[in-house]
This record gives sequence, C-alpha cells and structure tokens, in this order.
Amino acid sequence: MKTIKLTVNGQRVTGQVEPRTHLADFLRDHFMLTGTNVGCEHGVCGACTLWIDGAPARSCITYAVACDGADVRTIEGFEDDEVMAALRDAFTAEHALQCGYCTPGMLATSRDIVLRLPDADEARVREELSGNLCRCTGYVGIVRAVMRVLASRRGAS
Amino acid sequence: MKAAKFEYERPRDLGAALALLREAGGDAKLVAGSQSLGPMLNLRLAQPSLLVDVRGLPELRDVRDDGDHVFIGACTTHADIEDGRVPDPTQGFLRKVARGIAYRAVRNRGTVGGSLAHADPAADWVSAMAVLDAGVVVRGADGERTIPASQFVLGIMSTAMGEGEILVGVRVPKLSPKSRWSYWKYCRKTGEFAEGIGAFVVDPARNWWRGVMGATEGAPVVIEDARSLDPAAVASEAYEAGTYEHQVHAVALKRAAAALNP
Amino acid sequence: MKTAAKGVGARLPRKEDARFLRGQGQYIGNIRMVGMLDVAFARSSIAHGRIRGIAKPVGHEGSVYTADDLAGVKPIVANSGLKGFKPSELPVLAKGKVRFVGEMLAMCVAPTRAEAEDLAAAVEADIEPLPAVHDMLEALQPGAPRIHEHWSDNAFLETLVDADLAEVKARAAIKVTRRIRTARQAMNPMEGRAVLAYFDRRLDQLVVYSGDQMPHITRTGLSECLGIDHGRIHVISPDVGGGFGYKALLLPEAVCVAWLALQLGRPVRWLEDRYEQLSANANCREHHYDITGYADADGRLLAVDCDAVVDSGAYSLYPFSACLEAAQVGSILPGPYRMEKYRCRTWSAATNKPGILPYRGVARTGVCFAIELLMDAIARAAKREPHEVRILNLVPPEAMPFVNVTNKYFDSGDYPQAVRRALEALDWDAWRRKQARGLPDGSRIGLGLAIYCEQAAHGTSVYFGWGIPMVPGHEQCQARLSPDGVLELRIGAHSHGQGMETSFAQVANELIGVDPQNVRLIHGDTALTPYSTGTWGSRCAVMSGGAVATACEEIGRRVRQIAGKLMEVAAEDLELANGEVRVAGTDRKMTLAEVAHVWYRQPQLLPADVDPGGLETTSGYKAKKDTGTFSYACHAVAVAVDTELGHVDILDYAICEDGGTLINPMIVDGQIYGGLAQGIGTALYEEMPYSEDAQPLASTLADYMLPGPTEVPEPRVDHMETPSPLTFFGQKGIGEGGAIAPPAAIANAVNDALAPLGVELLECPVSPRRILAALAAARR
Repeated sequence: MKTIKLTVNGQRVTGQVEPRTHLADFLRDHFMLTGTNVGCEHGVCGACTLWIDGAPARSCITYAVACDGADVRTIEGFEDDEVMAALRDAFTAEHALQCGYCTPGMLATSRDIVLRLPDADEARVREELSGNLCRCTGYVGIVRAVMRVLASRRGAS
Repeated sequence: MKAAKFEYERPRDLGAALALLREAGGDAKLVAGSQSLGPMLNLRLAQPSLLVDVRGLPELRDVRDDGDHVFIGACTTHADIEDGRVPDPTQGFLRKVARGIAYRAVRNRGTVGGSLAHADPAADWVSAMAVLDAGVVVRGADGERTIPASQFVLGIMSTAMGEGEILVGVRVPKLSPKSRWSYWKYCRKTGEFAEGIGAFVVDPARNWWRGVMGATEGAPVVIEDARSLDPAAVASEAYEAGTYEHQVHAVALKRAAAALNP
Repeated sequence: MKTAAKGVGARLPRKEDARFLRGQGQYIGNIRMVGMLDVAFARSSIAHGRIRGIAKPVGHEGSVYTADDLAGVKPIVANSGLKGFKPSELPVLAKGKVRFVGEMLAMCVAPTRAEAEDLAAAVEADIEPLPAVHDMLEALQPGAPRIHEHWSDNAFLETLVDADLAEVKARAAIKVTRRIRTARQAMNPMEGRAVLAYFDRRLDQLVVYSGDQMPHITRTGLSECLGIDHGRIHVISPDVGGGFGYKALLLPEAVCVAWLALQLGRPVRWLEDRYEQLSANANCREHHYDITGYADADGRLLAVDCDAVVDSGAYSLYPFSACLEAAQVGSILPGPYRMEKYRCRTWSAATNKPGILPYRGVARTGVCFAIELLMDAIARAAKREPHEVRILNLVPPEAMPFVNVTNKYFDSGDYPQAVRRALEALDWDAWRRKQARGLPDGSRIGLGLAIYCEQAAHGTSVYFGWGIPMVPGHEQCQARLSPDGVLELRIGAHSHGQGMETSFAQVANELIGVDPQNVRLIHGDTALTPYSTGTWGSRCAVMSGGAVATACEEIGRRVRQIAGKLMEVAAEDLELANGEVRVAGTDRKMTLAEVAHVWYRQPQLLPADVDPGGLETTSGYKAKKDTGTFSYACHAVAVAVDTELGHVDILDYAICEDGGTLINPMIVDGQIYGGLAQGIGTALYEEMPYSEDAQPLASTLADYMLPGPTEVPEPRVDHMETPSPLTFFGQKGIGEGGAIAPPAAIANAVNDALAPLGVELLECPVSPRRILAALAAARR
C-alpha cells in the first residue's frame, strides 16, 4: 500500500492505495466519485476521461500512485464551471446523450476543445472527439452541442 | 481487467532510478506517462514485479538548444511538442507528427521517451525520429551513449537499450530553413495505430533526402537516399509483393513522396 | 391528430439527462454495499474440449466454485417448440465439456475484483482438446465434430418455406446467384453486463441488481434455475449503459452470482469488462446466404430461392433461443417486395463460439444485406438504375394493407415514396454527375441504396408459434395520480438509453394534460412494476406507450367523474389540459392536484358512484392486430473508394424513414443516428474473426474497431409519418431501423463504384483487405 496526497475536485485528500489500482477505480471506490465510468481499461474508449493537472487524461491507464501531488477534476468537480454549464445545456438541447455512460468522458473532452480550440470547425471537432466512443447517439448531438457552445462563445467575444 | 500486483517506486533522480533497475534484475519496468504500459498491465500482458516511475525526473524533463540540435528530454509529452512548448528544430515536422498521435487525452500524458522505449513499430516517434536521424540518448551504469534512432528499434517491443539503461532524451538535428518534409500514415480510423507510414525529410544544407517506411513488423526501414524512390521496391524489403501489407506500405511511401512537392 | 407542445410529437428535451450530465447515473457499478465481494470468472481458453479436472488455487479453495459446487442449480434451458429443434442445456459453470472460448469454468470471489482475478488466473483447468468447429458451413458437413454429442448433426434447427419454382425458373429472363456473408460481431454497449446480488433477511428474498433489458424475464429465469419461487426474487435494473440486445437474456453469471449471494449471506457483484465482452461474447450477426433471384427482363422479381445459415454458437440462450434468428431469416427475407414465389431453407448451425443473441435489427440486417445486394445485381443485369428496380418490385401503397408471400401483414406505408424521397434528399442525380466527372485524387464515387421494412412490437400470435420461453401478451401500465397531482407511471419494460422517462411523460401529457415535469416513470424494478417481457424488438413505444396511454385514459375518466361532481357539470364537458380540468368553453377549472386532494383527503365530497379504484389503475394494452407494425426506411449513400488503399469514405448519407406518428421526433432521430453508427460499424469496421481452432482474434478495442465521430457522418433524415392503423397514436417501432440498412446501402455503393473494374463485394465488413483482394483478383 502507498499513501498518496492529491487534490480532488479542489479538496486536498489523502488515500492509501495499491500501486496496481488505476485512478478511475481509486476515485470511484475510495471517494465515491462514481461519475467517472470505466469502459475498457485499455485506453481506447475514453469513458474514463477526466482532468489531471489542467488537461484531459484517461484515468484507466493512469495509476493512482502516479498521481501523488496531482490536481484531479472529475465530472463532479465541474458543478460551478461556466464552460461545463454551457456544455450541459447544449448536450440536453441537442440530444447528445442516450444511456449516459460515455457522457462524463465526452464532457471532459468537449470542455478541452472549447477552451483550447475556440476556432475549431466541425471536422476538427470530430477529430478531437475521436478518443471518446459512443454506442448510442451516432455522435450527431454531441458534435452539434460542441459546435453550439463554440459558436456562442465566438459570438459573445 | 485489473493488473497483477506490482510494487511502485518513484526515485528522486536518475541515479536512484538506475539503482532500482539494477536491483530488480530485469523484473522492473520503467514508466513515464503509462499510456503504452497501462493497457498492457491492465490486460496482464505485462506483469513486472516493480514499476519505476521516472516521469518527474528532472534529467528527463530537460529541454536544451545545443547548437546544431535540440535535446528533448524523454518525459516531454506529445502535447508539449504539439502545442509548441518545446522548441521545434524541424520546421514544423515534430509538431505535425505529435498532433497525429492517438488522442489528445493520451498526448497529455504520453511521452516521447516512453513511446520510443516501448518500441511499438507503429508508434509515430519510432518512424519520425528515424527519418530525422535523431540520436536516442540512453544512460546506464556505464554512463551515457547515443544510439541512432534508425538503429534503436530492433523489433516489436525490442530496442537496442541494454538491461539497466534508461532513455533520457532525443537529440533532434536542426533542419535548415529551406528544408521540406512530409509525413503520411494510413489508419483505418482516427487515432488508432497506423497500418503504414511514409515520411521524408529533405534538407539541402545537409544534402539530405531521407525517407522512412514505418509501421512494419520491426525496425522502420530507412531510405538514406530517397531521391529516386521506388515505393514498391522499398515495401518489398519487408513484405511480399501482392499482399495487403505491401500495398499499404507502398502507398504510404508514394503519398508521402507526393506530399513533399505541393 | 393535433400535436401538443409537450405531448405526442413534441421535441421535448429529455428529463433523464440531468443526472447523467452530472455523473449521477446509477449504473450497477456505482452501487456500494457494506461487505460487498467481487467475482471474477475463470474462463476457458480452449474452444472445444473435455474437462478432466479443474484445480482450485491451493489455500483458496473456499473462494473458488466450480459446477460441482453449485448443488441444486439447474442448467439454463431455452428450447423452441418449432418442429425439429434440438434441445440442449447450458450449465452455468462448465460441466463435462467446454464448447467455446470464454465459457465459464469457475467462479472466484474476493474483496476486490483485482484479487478475484488473481484467483481466476491461478485456476488450472485440465481440458482434453477436441477438434473445434469455427465455421458454420463446416459445422453442417457430415462428419463434423459434434458440439452436442447427443445430436445427429450440428443444427439446432432447420426450417423450410417451400415452393415449386420450376415454372418461374423456366420463364425468368434474368437469373442472379450470389454467395453472401456477414461477419460475427460483438455488440459493445459502453457499459458491460453487471450483476449485484444479496439476500434480504427481512423479506426472505434474493435481491438481484441486473443491468437488464428484461428484469421480469430474468426473475423468471432465476426462479427456474435456482428452484425458488418468484416471490423470493426481486430484480432491479437501475440505469443501464446501453443494451442493443446484449442485455436481453438470463445471464449464466447472474445465476452464479445470485446463488453465491445466498450461500455467503453477503452482497456479491460481477462487472463484465471489455476483454470479457470481446473474447467471450462475440455473439451476433454471422450469416451466410446462397441466394438466387429470378426476374424478367425489366427486373421484375419472379422468385427468390435461398439457403441461409446463421452461426448460432454453442448454446441456446434464454429466452430467445438459438433458432430465432435463422427462423426469422426464412420469414422476412422477402423484405418489402412482391414476388410470385419464394423458397427458403435455413439452418441454425451450432459452432464452438458464444451462443447467439439478437442484436439490434436481428435477422433484418443480414436479410437486408442479402436481398438488397441481390436487387442491385438484378438491376445491373437488367441494365437499370437500382432505384428503378426497387420501385418496380416494392409493395405499392395502393396494395396496403398487404399480406406478403410469407404471410406478413404490412399494415400501411408508401415504400416507393420512401425511395424517391431518399434519393431526393441525397440528390442522387447530382452525385451521378459527380461520379461521371471523377474525383481529383482518383478515388471512385459510388452510389448505393437499401430499403427495408421492420416488423416491430409483434406479439402473441407471432411468438407463440416459436415455442420459446417467452411469449409476449398484453402490456400493462399502472398509473397513480398522487395527492399533489404528480402522475406516477409504472411499466415493466426498461430503458437503456431510449428516453422512456420523457416519451411516456409526453404520452401522459397528451391524454390528461399533466406537465411532463410532473410525471414520474418507474421502471426496471420487478417489485414495483407490472410483468413485461421487456425491451426488445422495438416494441416499447407501441406496447408500453399504448399501455401508458390506456392507463392515462382511465385516470382521465376518473378525474372527470370526480371533477364533474365537484363542478356540477357532466364529465363529458370537461377538458384536461395544462395540468387542469376545465369546463369546456368557460374559465371554470380545477387543477389535477385539487381533484386528487378530494379523493385522498376529502372523500366525503366524492360522487356516490365514484369508481372505488380511485386514482390508481392498472391497464392492459395490445395493438389492434398483434402481427406488429411495419416501419420502413430507405437509406441512400454516396461513397468514395480509394482503390489504392481499399478505404471507403462516406461522402453523403440520406435516410427517408416512416415511423408512423413520432412521439418524440428528437428521440426518434437519436435512435436513427445511433442505429446508423452501428450499421456503419457492420458495413465497414466491425468483425470478430475466429481462428481455425475457434479462438477469437480481436480481444481488445484496438483490434475490434468501433466507429468514432470521424467515421460516422450526420445523415440527412426525412420523415414520412404514415400513422399505423393498429396502434394507439399510430406510432410504429423504429428503434432498430437505423442499424438495418447501412451495410446493404454502403456495400451497394462500393459495388457501384467498382463495377466498371469488374468487382462485386458480397461480404461485410467491406474492409480494405477485401476490397484490395477483390480488385487484385479482378485484374488477374
């Protein structure tokens, strides 16, 4: 067992964890932060995407012990985030979710697109979302939602 | 799938990391971003007894302008390169390659050194560093040495590094301003491993017209003089003519060559 | 019918979104219980063999269970009453033999999943390998190794729709014969299967959380296997992360975990991971067709003659059984077409692979692939455009309702118009011109189309003939108007993404004017809901929707009766809208809450003849004919084929679909988009190849390719809404349709692009390897 100290959703926390436990399981099991979903555990599907040190990362192939000192934000940690709020509204308006399992990971990636690539066109949005698989929606609503938020931020500025 | 048990150490410096490797006698694995190793651990395809985390080692994060080349520390992430946070001595080639690696979430954690040391022949840096004639800097108990990138990957998951050696960075030559380059790969879908890679670097100041055929079953095939390139002939060095693999690799070379002359 | 702002026809944003957007979805993996243990299964790495022994890890024998330990647990049996069906059993843990890679050998339990996997890795199985059957055609050869040794051959079932074709053959100017194949797939919902079970001592009841499309069927199945009565089993499906058919069965894992929970007296959980899903459960879509079409010189179909085989895997799964899909092939292969004669023989072949499950579209995807490729081949032989040959042969609207050559009752529809509108939406003619001009990079443009009709919500009269362990009957809804005017609806079907919490709230709004925000849908819990066969076959909008509507009608009638007394008017003069009961043509009104308040708190004010059932009712529903509804659609696609790489790019995609009345058009569109993505997967990317010794070869998502946002375009969708005359609002089942046509449309487009090069592909996925191999063969 290793003791690690990190920041999770703005709170400094300490945990004891086996080295083999990945970050997703650590957050889900130790902190009841079950919003992050586990989809494949080999880094392909993107369901586990959350933010580490200010950037999206896959929590299933990142081990908790490697996150000592890290700043982690899960879907639960974006309750008051303005971009995430806009994305949530857009996801609902554009029917960007059905079963919801890929949704937290989709939102994590979408937030990165909106902040990092404010001028992205649809082709770029699709390319950047490629690391997040969805089996329900055919991606139509998700792409529309991200485009909608990008457009509204461009319009506002 | 949950990984099999392993111990984990995060050494404070390179010397401590080397000592850990020595003590483990071959049963330890180095890890940086864990984007390549993580899936293998979770699938139990790799079952080391010890993980040595080198991600934070200052020596591996070093980035230096050394005159005719740039040293890029092993733990530089693909995103660092994509976003231009490290100097790009290749007139945009490194940034273009970085942007096409896997997915952004992977690029945020995955490292140049980790990718090279993992030695999946389809990894982009394996081909890109070979065509750039970069030098892979490794350090072991006997000191530091530089292995030419074109001789670094020997086969699938197999490198010229010795047991107990750590990849500390890559020396990337500075291309002259009149250089041209191209990088073309075929993936069935965005972000997945390439089925065939073709890349060229033309630097008049060095009298370079280098090419590489990548995503092979082992080492990338480097073409020292690619001026009169016959893609099918190069593909035949690794694949039987008439096979799907031969076709994909020949086409990758052909399209990379065409992209050189827009 | 009029469309209300929040009723039937409204594009109402979904109520259920709120929790998923905040990461508050309650999937089974998110449920924590004190003392919970995790299970991992040791699975066979050999496809066919005799079990000589299974050695438990030394020192941990008490944490590992094999078939011998599961005393009293019966095997899963899913036989069909169809004549000639060969019965077999599926032991929940392997007994005697293993018959597919991934079959469960032992159940290992530990405080964490990682430790349970450590135990599973240490289980040593001594299995004497037997020759493995990896191919369905070889399985049917005489002398093939027998999967179930007490059978005479490896066919679960043979079916025959017979006809004498001699006369038709003699006058057919066009005869086209093709051998067509679809690949085996894994359904890959984003959430895997999941079971969490514990024993409730207070209620003397086994509680089983199951990620399930049919919780009531699971309850029945558990009761049969564990030998305990229904009353002692409570199944709960919370949020389910995708199903598509993958979660429509009684899981052997559920039987094991439930049994273990009873033994240990502690909660026990099993969460399927992606590796298990791929390597042990690639269980759908694999069909083979030897098909011949006879037509006149204009391309008018005279007859279709087909031998079809469905690879049904090693075991018959509960409740659908191993033979449903192949038998369905026989009855639906004719599609939406007229023809004089039809003959089709099918085999459900047993092989050393996971047992077949019906995946979105079921046999329709394979059947559409076969018949639509045949129709394009006939069109080429007749030197006509593919759409001309379709329109010539489709059942025309004036013939509706139509009984087709296999006695299917097409309730309504204009199939030729769907073709015309799909072509218009795509702008087929403009693409033909672009095709003639060519593309600068040398890729070849191709155009393809496919049309299908989808029987959905079919009921008793169709299913009883199959004799499988499930025959749907009436569907029920329990409705209760609460004291505060909130309407609770309880149904036995369950959502796995299709938005029932919203659609059925809209139905309630349509009938009694209650605001959808004041409607609560309760589903997935066998203790709280009426029995239902569950969510499959695109049945819920029709069946559950009809039941909800019927129950709401009854609640409305009772509300009017009470309000009429209170407002001193005849019940018929009262309108229900906007959460209120209003006297027609006046401003006099009461809220639903005020009416409910009287029933619950002031019964002295009720009419003397008030219905004693009060504001709570159970209503049942069946469509007017239970042969089901027939939605239909035409998909039209333009592709670019890179002939050097074999890569196919979708340039444009258009769909014209008719789902009858659409309860929530936004949700319907979502189903079409999602189905299309899965259809594109079938068409171009997804396959689970098996080696000669029946090893699955794509055990991670790096090898098994799921389409992403750059592979799935946004299609143009044009809706025709011909109400079904058989259902409550005229709605038809559409959930599967999007996944039915794409493989046929895309393959036809690829063939259209490559026909001048002498290439015709007949196998999906239409992968680069297959395209390049076909191009090379054509050159030789």
